[in-house]
Amino acid sequence: MTDSFKDIWSLRKPGALDSERHKQRIRDAIKKNLHDLIAEENIISSKGGKKVKVPIKYLDMWKFKFGKNDKQKGVGQGDGDPGDIIAKEDQGQGKGQGQAGQDPGEDIYEEEVELEEVIEMMLEDLDLPWLDKKEKAIEIETEDVVFQDIAERGLPSNIDKKQTVLRNMRKNALKGKMRIGNFEPSDLRYRVWEQVIEKHSNAAVFLLMDRSASMTNEKKYIVKSFFWWMVKFLERKFDNVELIFIAHDTEAKETEEENFFAISQSGGTMVSSAFILAKKIIENRFPENIWNNYVFSFSDGDNWPEDNERCVQAVKNILPLCQAVGYGEVNVSNDFFGWSRLTEVFSENSDLVNNERFIVATIEKREDIYKTLKEFLPKEENK
Amino acid sequence: MNKRIKEIEELSREMGLDAFPVVYEIIERSTMFNICAYGLPTRARHWSYGRSYDHLKTHGQMGLSKIYEVILNNNPCYAFMLDTNTEVQNLFIAAHCQGHSYVYKQNYLFKKTNRNMIKHAAEHAGRIDEYIEQYGFEKVEHLMDIGFSLSRHIDWHKGLYRKPYGSEKIIQNKNKIIREFDDILPKRKQEVKKVSKKHPPYPEKDLLWFFINYAPLEDWEKDVLDIIREEQFYFYPQMLTKIVHEGLASYWHAEVMYNYKGLTQSEYVDFLRTHEKVVQPGGNPFSINPYYLGYKIFKDIEKRWDDGNGAGRKKVLEVAAEEDDISFIRNYLTADLVEELKLFTYGYSNTKGKKGERFIEIKERMRDYVVETLVAPLYNGGVPKISIVEIGPEGKLIMKHDSSNVGTLDHRFASKTLEYIWDLWAAPIEIHTNNDDGEDIVLCFDEAGYYEKMLNEELYEEEEEEKPYQGRIILP
Repeated sequence: MTDSFKDIWSLRKPGALDSERHKQRIRDAIKKNLHDLIAEENIISSKGGKKVKVPIKYLDMWKFKFGKNDKQKGVGQGDGDPGDIIAKEDQGQGKGQGQAGQDPGEDIYEEEVELEEVIEMMLEDLDLPWLDKKEKAIEIETEDVVFQDIAERGLPSNIDKKQTVLRNMRKNALKGKMRIGNFEPSDLRYRVWEQVIEKHSNAAVFLLMDRSASMTNEKKYIVKSFFWWMVKFLERKFDNVELIFIAHDTEAKETEEENFFAISQSGGTMVSSAFILAKKIIENRFPENIWNNYVFSFSDGDNWPEDNERCVQAVKNILPLCQAVGYGEVNVSNDFFGWSRLTEVFSENSDLVNNERFIVATIEKREDIYKTLKEFLPKEENK
Repeated sequence: MNKRIKEIEELSREMGLDAFPVVYEIIERSTMFNICAYGLPTRARHWSYGRSYDHLKTHGQMGLSKIYEVILNNNPCYAFMLDTNTEVQNLFIAAHCQGHSYVYKQNYLFKKTNRNMIKHAAEHAGRIDEYIEQYGFEKVEHLMDIGFSLSRHIDWHKGLYRKPYGSEKIIQNKNKIIREFDDILPKRKQEVKKVSKKHPPYPEKDLLWFFINYAPLEDWEKDVLDIIREEQFYFYPQMLTKIVHEGLASYWHAEVMYNYKGLTQSEYVDFLRTHEKVVQPGGNPFSINPYYLGYKIFKDIEKRWDDGNGAGRKKVLEVAAEEDDISFIRNYLTADLVEELKLFTYGYSNTKGKKGERFIEIKERMRDYVVETLVAPLYNGGVPKISIVEIGPEGKLIMKHDSSNVGTLDHRFASKTLEYIWDLWAAPIEIHTNNDDGEDIVLCFDEAGYYEKMLNEELYEEEEEEKPYQGRIILP
């Protein structure tokens, strides 16, 4: 037994290094498939700070291999006669037929990813280019108290117990005793605070959604995940994000977040009503000199024709109060007939087309969400 | 303990085992994971080992799949033991490793392997590191991806070291096509040399060897592929002798420990417990524990050839030297043993459930069916039989897949693998094969990318429509 070798074998451990590279490749692959992931219900239904499970395949090592075949057989062991059913497909080792365990590369596993990490990757390509162009003061200052230092004198309520005990131990140790005790006033240590001034940036995000009968569940789901990512992004950019939910059919109403997607009412659609209400709320509660206001409206474009002009006007009115205004049209199954779409109305108005803070986008399926997010929040270089 | 291991080795020799000497090393768990993931203590780095390493770290510590030991084919053999093993476990492992060492030394497949691979692989790792430094990490990694993708297609009988085909030149496209800028660069002349003889002269099974010798590659690229090919030849016999190896090692540790007098009573009970764990059928009715199957077959051989004078054990050692898994199962898994071990074949049932769910049923219990089903996935080292048959006009590489009776190729995997070959060969590639209906089809890769067609040149329309997103990422 050559124990002296022990250290030699443990000298070179490339496993951790290559494992990091493998994980890097998984992350790259996830990134490449963001448009798939972005609509993943696991993610948007999770509460913050948790890990999410993303179903993902092991990275494949491409090679010539046999495809799946119904005629494939395997060898097993146990009781029973030919013809006896021994398992259902999913619970048995159906997938590993014949060569179970030979190829771990075939498994699909659920990769646990930090939610934060996924969001980080998703949002890497997004930005708020017009943020720098603002001239208004948007930061407010607050005072805060932070304990930062240790002193020998102070108020009894601010005694730092850990430092005091350490001090006491050190003193006793110097005398050659290994114990805590015999506290003297000179052992006491106090925490000292400092006043700091913090600057906060605030954003108010107005989420406007059409809840007329034509908004199907799928459309609402798209809107929901879009909003989710939008809010996540803005939360990263601002210290304080307020969400205002406005649902509308022909009339707009401010609602709670939990009711926002639940309610479904029949009736027509007047998108202008929501913009008008949003403007009112901004004027009353979110003055533009303190708040960065973002208004995002979603509808299936099925607006009442007589409302179209009013809508253009409402957007023009609200734009000066906002950092950006977005309008997204969800058109899942091309189920639109007859009336002109709101997107077209907007695109015919040259004032709006030329205003880079007003963005219009169309979403047809879940996979488009990421593309639309990029249109709404373009990075300078891909604009 | 050192003394008792010596005693075990001594006893082994007395019992007629001619094996390589074994060097025992005690290492900690994380080092063990490293050696298991890489197959060797030091080996050129690649992300796929990182994947195995992660897999071991997650699953390696659970219950039965706990790794007791690893032993490497080398002269002397190196055996690694966990520093958390008990003393009895280590004695047990020493006896077990004597069996492995015997197969390494005596089995006909291993006679051709490099007995100094531990050093060689470390040297390979150094060379790869140099290439990474010189040519960039991504470039080397991509080439290694390609190498690993093709490395299992070797020609064992022609061997590791081969001479090129005759003296005549092969048609070769010297100008490597760089796809990215092809559209803006002037078309370069393709250098085509005429040949008088057909190339390759016979269907070539050793794909990497062919590309190393005949594809337009730089020297360092050839060397990277050569390293992968060389290590593949080293590991190949182990893939063909899983059951023989574990069976013989299990048989031998039992024989030695039964005869070893140096155990206390409680140690003996510990040994029996460990032994039972190793050679049990395993809880899964759908897979067979190779330790168990091999052990049972060897015990059966011993019984059948026993003359009360050690002829049974002699026969066991003979078989372990002469057979690989396929011939071992074919020649020695008897009908009686199939019945005793309650083996059966299983497959999809024709009847379906109310919701269309499918069932798995027992198909046969006849010995011949069981044997053929057991060995079917072992043919050709478990990979589809693919060879290069011809080089067509303008360097078009024509390959053929010959094992459609075993199974058809997975097209998605094939398309990516063809793309790899394109990166090496830099000219169009075709692979002739069959689809599930038995029709002759051709999978192609050229400037246009991957496509499929019927053998009679008509474009083969893909029936499969793009599936809607189902909440599962298909990685590229």
